[in-house]
Amino acid sequence: MAADNLVAARGAQARPDWPALARRAWRRRFTGQSMLLAFLVVVSAPIVLPYFWMVVIAFTARTGGVASDVLWTACAVIAPAVLIYSIVHMSVPAPRLRLAAGLVLLAIAGALLAALIGERLHLDNFRFLTRANFVEEIRSKATSGAQFPSVWNAFFNSLLLAVSQTVIILTVSSLAGYYISRFAFRGRSVFLQGMLVLHAFPAMTLIIPIFLMLHWIGLLDTIVGVMLVLAAIELPFYVFVMKGFFDGVPWDIEMSAMTDGATRRQAFRLVVLPQVRFGLIAVAVFAFIRAWEEYIFVRTFLIENKNWVMSLYLFWVSDDVMGVDYGIVAAVAVFYVLPSFLLYVFCQKYLTQMTIGGIKG
Amino acid sequence: MARIELKNLRKEWGGAIAVAGIDLAIEDGAFVAVLGPSGCGKSTTLMMLAGIYRPTSGDITFDGARVNDVEARGRNVGIVFQSYALYPNMTVLENVMFPLRFKTIERTEAERRSREVATLVRIDGLLDRRPGQLSGGQQQRVALARALVKRPHLLLLDEPLSNLDAGLRLTMRTEIRRIQRELGVTTILVTHDQVEATTMADRVVVMNSGRVEQQGTAEDLYERPATLFVASFVGSPPINLFDGHAAGGMLSVNEARLPLADPVQGAVVLGLRPESLRVNGSGDSGRTISRISAVEPMGREVLYTADSAFGVIRFLEAGAEPRHRESDDVPLGFPPASALLFDKDSGRRLDARVAA
Repeated sequence: MAADNLVAARGAQARPDWPALARRAWRRRFTGQSMLLAFLVVVSAPIVLPYFWMVVIAFTARTGGVASDVLWTACAVIAPAVLIYSIVHMSVPAPRLRLAAGLVLLAIAGALLAALIGERLHLDNFRFLTRANFVEEIRSKATSGAQFPSVWNAFFNSLLLAVSQTVIILTVSSLAGYYISRFAFRGRSVFLQGMLVLHAFPAMTLIIPIFLMLHWIGLLDTIVGVMLVLAAIELPFYVFVMKGFFDGVPWDIEMSAMTDGATRRQAFRLVVLPQVRFGLIAVAVFAFIRAWEEYIFVRTFLIENKNWVMSLYLFWVSDDVMGVDYGIVAAVAVFYVLPSFLLYVFCQKYLTQMTIGGIKG
Repeated sequence: MARIELKNLRKEWGGAIAVAGIDLAIEDGAFVAVLGPSGCGKSTTLMMLAGIYRPTSGDITFDGARVNDVEARGRNVGIVFQSYALYPNMTVLENVMFPLRFKTIERTEAERRSREVATLVRIDGLLDRRPGQLSGGQQQRVALARALVKRPHLLLLDEPLSNLDAGLRLTMRTEIRRIQRELGVTTILVTHDQVEATTMADRVVVMNSGRVEQQGTAEDLYERPATLFVASFVGSPPINLFDGHAAGGMLSVNEARLPLADPVQGAVVLGLRPESLRVNGSGDSGRTISRISAVEPMGREVLYTADSAFGVIRFLEAGAEPRHRESDDVPLGFPPASALLFDKDSGRRLDARVAA
């Protein structure tokens, strides 16, 4: 019988050497993890280094030149620290010990950095925050020409653009996404496909027609004009994302709210919207950052310096025939990056939700 | 509380008929179960009662007043969905209080009433939790409390027990029954589970492809099924059905021949309940020697499958211990009064009986 053979074969097989198997599994996991760690460090280096450079330069460079020795000194302290921590992380399994080792390393690295480059840190490069016409100090008055605007002017323009962008996109994408998700109407699928095609279409190709249209409407060189153009180009994608989130909210809940006495609008506001709040947060953050970092459209549609936004301000600070003051450019860049960075840090866990909702759509 | 009436109620979805004309009257305070397979239109009927779907034609009346054009929020109907449909962003108390938000009731009074209902359904210890932190049975109770807090004219239960495990289902069955009795609220339960329907409701309405097949008590459905569909849907394990032909006072089914007590002609379906069949019963008809092909002990009874002169047949015997084994030959028969005869074409039950 076949079954008898099977039983006999199992009996004849040698007992496995469990400890050897366990050792092999541990070795495999160890090499796998170290390789992964090494790979991640190597890959993130080119991403992290420019930001590192930017921050270091912003706090150390003096007018008239960039001393790269500070940068290399800092790297020489930080790179070994990262390496040592990686080894500790791999060989020490207890999280408590890892944390302690990390803190010790951090303290040592901090002390070394303070000793080696501490006295070279200064805030001179950030003088643009308080002095509008700092440009005249680094360039001759003749070349600077017209009055250089205050950074706060550009900052508030950027803020206005980003906040209004967020408000428009949140309002329209949540209402439109809900409608597309819940209601059947003629041409619904064509509409959905059309939105995707619109999103895939490179908006840059439209830049000249949009320029002309803005000119004719009279919105050229206004923040409102850029706001409308940017919202129109970005909206299809966000509507699609919000539709995905609304698709994930069960019908039952809405029906239940309506039998409980709510109107459709109340059901939307009290029951459906709270369920897609992560989607709303993700959409808001992306819309804000997208407008905050916008360059091409603002460069094309905004002309007068009172309308500059942060990206244009940064461009004009660095644009000089006489040579660039990297210290100030880096300082402006740090100031410019700070709001997006903070938003990312605080909303990071919601942003990952976006892909989930998107896939559902 | 209200007396509910449906008059020739129809619902079509762009040509597809979901509900094909239902007439139903439900007395004030009654507990009625609507039983049927999935897709028979029972949930659609429920949604029309709740006011979420608009009927294509026909009338729905609450206490004699036509409510077809009244919106869901105006009908004062409590509904418990299969998924419970709790609002995950609110606590249990807020969930229960939700329906009272839309009424002119003071907050303190609303909270008092909510706590009262919560005590009734025994969730008073959970009021500060969120639905995500509750077990299935607790969520069910919250949904029930939310449906009851507005003192509805009508309570609708859409497959309320199907997401619960077996033990909990049993408890909730008695719980819902108790609460319904205590409040005397007119209740309609929609289910595909005959045990749920017959144990909880006073009256069961069996639906099939958008029509009412039969309504009555559990006993009516079991003993006097109006149609072949009801006979096959009600009863577990299902009834044995055999195609036969009646002529000259005799019914022939495969190799078996049975004398008929009443004159019947033509194609007939013979229905034999597994529990009415027995081995060696005195005064039985249709006794044939059958060979047992499978023995399935089910605890307090044993289900046998046998090859008889009628065809493959299943029968039950009480007692945990199987008394026959596979390949045994047993004389199998049934009391003549227990055999059901149906007209094959119309599916309706015939009054005729098998003779002794």
